Amino acid sequence: MIPKIESGIPGFDELTSSNDGTGGIPENTATLIYGPSKTGKSIFINQFIYKGLTNDEPCLYITTDNGYKQFKTNMDEFNWPIEKYLDSNSLYLIDTISDVSEGIPSQSESFIQSCINNPTDIMVKFGSGVNYISKNNPLFRSVIDSATTLLAYNENMLIIRVLKAYLMRVNEAGGTPIIAYTQGSADSIIETMLKSMVDNIIRIDGENLYIEAMNGIGKRSSPYQITDNGIIL
Amino acid sequence: MNNIQSGIPGFDQLTVSELAEGGIPEKSTTLIYGPPKTGKSIFCNQFTYSGLSNQEPCLYVSTDKGVKQVQRDMMDFQWLTQNYIQNQSIYFIDGISYLSGGKFENKNNLVSSSVSNPADLMVKVGIGTRNVYKTSNHFRSILDSLNTLFAFNPDQMVIRILKAYLRRITEAGGTGLIAYTEGITDPKTEKELKSLFNNTIRLDGQNIHIKSDYEDFNEVKTLESAYTISDKGIVVN
Amino acid sequence: MKKTHITKLDDFLVGGIIEGSSILFSAVPGVECEAFGYQILNEIIGDGNQGFIFTNVTEPINIIYKFKSYGWDLEKYLNEEKAFFVDGSSKFLGLPRNGKYSIDEINQTEEIILKSIEDIPNGVGIINNLSTLIDLDEDHIIKLIDKWNKKAKANNTILVYIFTKWDYKPELIQDIKDNMDAIVSLNSIEERVIIGQGFMVNASWNHPDNNMILFFVLQPGGIKIYIPKLLVTGSYNAGKSNFVKSLSKKTVPVDRMALEKLPTSIAMDIGHVVHDGFVADIFGTPGQERFDLMLDVLAEEAVGAFIMVDLSAPQTFGRAKEMINKTQAEAIPRIIVANKQDLPGALLPEKIRNAMKLDDTIPIVPSIVIEDNGVELALETLLKPLYGE
Repeated sequence: MIPKIESGIPGFDELTSSNDGTGGIPENTATLIYGPSKTGKSIFINQFIYKGLTNDEPCLYITTDNGYKQFKTNMDEFNWPIEKYLDSNSLYLIDTISDVSEGIPSQSESFIQSCINNPTDIMVKFGSGVNYISKNNPLFRSVIDSATTLLAYNENMLIIRVLKAYLMRVNEAGGTPIIAYTQGSADSIIETMLKSMVDNIIRIDGENLYIEAMNGIGKRSSPYQITDNGIIL
Repeated sequence: MNNIQSGIPGFDQLTVSELAEGGIPEKSTTLIYGPPKTGKSIFCNQFTYSGLSNQEPCLYVSTDKGVKQVQRDMMDFQWLTQNYIQNQSIYFIDGISYLSGGKFENKNNLVSSSVSNPADLMVKVGIGTRNVYKTSNHFRSILDSLNTLFAFNPDQMVIRILKAYLRRITEAGGTGLIAYTEGITDPKTEKELKSLFNNTIRLDGQNIHIKSDYEDFNEVKTLESAYTISDKGIVVN
Repeated sequence: MKKTHITKLDDFLVGGIIEGSSILFSAVPGVECEAFGYQILNEIIGDGNQGFIFTNVTEPINIIYKFKSYGWDLEKYLNEEKAFFVDGSSKFLGLPRNGKYSIDEINQTEEIILKSIEDIPNGVGIINNLSTLIDLDEDHIIKLIDKWNKKAKANNTILVYIFTKWDYKPELIQDIKDNMDAIVSLNSIEERVIIGQGFMVNASWNHPDNNMILFFVLQPGGIKIYIPKLLVTGSYNAGKSNFVKSLSKKTVPVDRMALEKLPTSIAMDIGHVVHDGFVADIFGTPGQERFDLMLDVLAEEAVGAFIMVDLSAPQTFGRAKEMINKTQAEAIPRIIVANKQDLPGALLPEKIRNAMKLDDTIPIVPSIVIEDNGVELALETLLKPLYGE
């Protein structure tokens, strides 16, 4: 029996249910969600972590596309307020692109700034984040949104190595990581490497969601929609 | 020519011929490759477990996953390894846990190394082969997989490491199975890679393609069939 | 001259390493190599000099840990600024830098090493390891080594290169060697698997020497040389004592030798032999069954065994077979020395194979030991499979 954690996306847990009846993302496994741009990958991820936050599962979030302001706005749009989780240190946000001058809250225990073209610094801060979060709660969710931007700003193989170290750390600490990636944004060698490093692969193309690989179940798919409340299958 | 049981239902039946019973040719080297997530690691673990159940020890070099994860993966299919680790039938070289920040307890037959320090990897392979050889000169050896080696070393270095590893295994009389994800290096390197092996097995998600190089008989044999992944592991139809 | 304080290495180097020279430790994959670099650094700094370690295979923190496992304190030297790191590894792994210098781009390597050499006149720099540098820039590696060695010579700094001899083109390996003042080859001793490791020294300032010294790397302890034991065993009166005497130039009779673990009342012959570069101790064990326990103990530490059989006494073959099985369990090479072939009624040596049901892997060497006949051949036959490459 493979323990699963609730995805928070209506229809997803049903789609991924295995013989023992439970569905969702297998606990402590790594997931890659990829597809063309603007298909809802970030929405999927945000929905996923918000579900965790409401379930008392903290989240470690590395954002590379949206700075804090944009991220907060995105969450508010779907009615997933995150302020209180930041305050209570359940949501640990590493913002790699906001400029200090943009008028964001100064760094707190759970809001850290880093730099997109300094993966070493991101990893150091991430390491502290894992230690901090997993101290009280071994069940946590971890996000990188997105690998595409990391790859765009840095030498590709270095990012692969950094991601490998990242996945090993999260796995060791008991977390469940999810990485977003825009299909075709890096060369096929890098894309194949990415796919080979994770346990589960989800592809969304604007109309359908495909489970290309998942521990314990075979290939499945379902159409989906983006509504005011997030993604539903 | 001798073959050893693969442990994969249907595989041995598929590979039977006038020359030999089915299975994987003993003392040969096999590359198992294909797109991501097609069951290569499952095949390797299934092969390992089959050997262990037959008193054939295993030298397991893991570069993609740490030892704890490999054990968990095997447990998913009811292949319980705890006892075999305890009675030293497995010699496990964990080349990746050093990145995870956790504490690694080196034991007699469970050692930590690093994918970025290939000289150290080979020292441990040397000790490992001596270790399993002492138990039995019919042993299996797994390398799962070349992927992380390619991420942490230049392509040509990985080819060299692989050559040294294959030499060590075959010199000791073991049967080697090495996994690799198709498409993570350029076509030229991939071609060179495949040429180093006696046999190749390709899993593409639906079908299994087996290519075997019978040096003595100067022929190359190819076989194909469909396969599925069940909760008992890979099943060849 | 700087001593390495590694037993026998200083002997072969005729005292030590000459200041300003370059020394290459070239290891066959599978043979431990780093320890030599680390131990030399530890000893030379301990003697009051400075040093650096350039690493591109593992992070500095792991090297500190490695030193600890050998029982040495690198942190103390780092804090006292007697040693520093050139970190060529962390950036590659995406980890924070750790060291006086760190290499962020490959093309900085040349300059930073030159600077490091300048920083420690009369000291020692360890390059771990050269193989990794080759793949990053194969075309310029010789020029690079040349520049570094010239700088080191001018500064009186010793450079120790750790090199793993992967499947490189022979011309490249030769070019590298030609650029070094001394070469220590680290080889494996193999019988299907690696059963031992040995080093061989070739310095521009000594006579070429083809002797190989076997070594272990102990934690703690570091490099320890190892003199292998060869066993001479077999049934009673098969000719063991004479064989030992014949093999070695000096046999040490047991009543003059203090045997640490064994009671001195046991009759054992001990000798030494130097053959084709191997230094070995020979232990002739008593043939009576009550000494079998000793045979078990000795077999554990032996690298090879001569099993002597008296061709004129077939009734003793069973006993000899027993001893073959004992040594087989330890996976050590053994040969049958079929002695007394001149006596009447002696079986032909090859007939023994059938009589004792031996498979083809055990060589049988006929001999007449008291005439010194076959002894040299027996030694060669036993030691041949131990030369690995």
